[in-house]
Amino acid sequence: MDQGNLLTLPAVPWKAEPVGNGDHSRLLLDLYDREQAPLKRYLAMLGVDPETARDVVQDGFLKLHEHLLAGGEQGNLRAWLYRVVHNGARNTQTSFGARRTGSIDDLDPAASPAAKDLSAEDELLDKERERRVGHAIAQLSVTQRDCLVLRSQGLKYREIAEALQLSVSTVGDNIQRGLERLKELI
Amino acid sequence: MKCERLSWDLLVKAGDKELSAGEAQFVTDHLAQCADCRRECQEIERFSGYVESAVNRAAVAEQPADREQLAARIGQQARVKAIRAPEKVLRRFGWGMALAATLALGLIVAPRQKAQLTDTTAGSKPAAAESSAIEVDGETFVALPYSNPDLPSLAPRIVQMQVPLSSLAAIGIALEPVASQVLNQDRSVLADVLLGADGQPLGVHVVSWE
Repeated sequence: MDQGNLLTLPAVPWKAEPVGNGDHSRLLLDLYDREQAPLKRYLAMLGVDPETARDVVQDGFLKLHEHLLAGGEQGNLRAWLYRVVHNGARNTQTSFGARRTGSIDDLDPAASPAAKDLSAEDELLDKERERRVGHAIAQLSVTQRDCLVLRSQGLKYREIAEALQLSVSTVGDNIQRGLERLKELI
Repeated sequence: MKCERLSWDLLVKAGDKELSAGEAQFVTDHLAQCADCRRECQEIERFSGYVESAVNRAAVAEQPADREQLAARIGQQARVKAIRAPEKVLRRFGWGMALAATLALGLIVAPRQKAQLTDTTAGSKPAAAESSAIEVDGETFVALPYSNPDLPSLAPRIVQMQVPLSSLAAIGIALEPVASQVLNQDRSVLADVLLGADGQPLGVHVVSWE
């Protein structure tokens, strides 16, 4: 027995610290109002069906609440949320990567606000262009597409980097190469 | 792109406001006098717009009850957290409390076991007969109430601790004098603590009074 390994309990070791229980509901609901639709659109671009996306987004906000209750970092909650939702989507889909391809082709061109008030010819051209854009986006690499989609939702490079767990320079590279690829394909 | 002064990468980042102030100024100055680069910027905006429209066309499901449902679940989480807060405090100090409780138990039980051991024949294994005891390297430890008997104990992971009796008294564990010894609140007890493979204490062996 090592006699040098001698520990002494503190004199008053049992004083409990009060545990904070701040009300984060307002912050979370404000964030929900702003981000739920962009998050669901992002999930749609990942090939997640709308009903599953609703569940994944709700779970994401509940995880964020747990994170806040645990005193977690509050630096960039939007990026944190996108990361959790991205991972949540991955967990809900057994063939996540495979199902992502072609998801853009499933988008409904009629849902576009620009589809209204157009002549029949313009509308046809518009639909044709949307089809080609969808097809081109579907041909991007997964990372290029994720970066471009998140960028289109207004996320800064550092937020995209945090959400996708990439470096900021990798995000910049993928955005640039993704746009170049789109230019070639369209 | 005919102009070679600015890369596509730099123009994309300029549009995204991802450049430093110095770089942004350089790009702005260049764009003011370069029609080629201005056209490239328009191309970047065009393709970015295509992506944005494709994303915005994505169908999303939003039921009116979704927000209320989330609010209710957040409230429920907060209530559960408030209930569990004392449990967290207990977990934080549970190790020490369990140790103190076991020491108290050891002070009462160990001397009696020792007395029983003297009555047994040589070579017998009293640990086998006593289910609450753990035998390691010939040393008998009183098992902690919550210890997992399925976890292997590691013989080298025994630490010796000195516990002031006043600490035990401070948490409401009253120690009764054993045999002819008189309890003194200022004294300590020396104990070997057996750690399990998970780092949690498995059992305690009171070594001696000081």
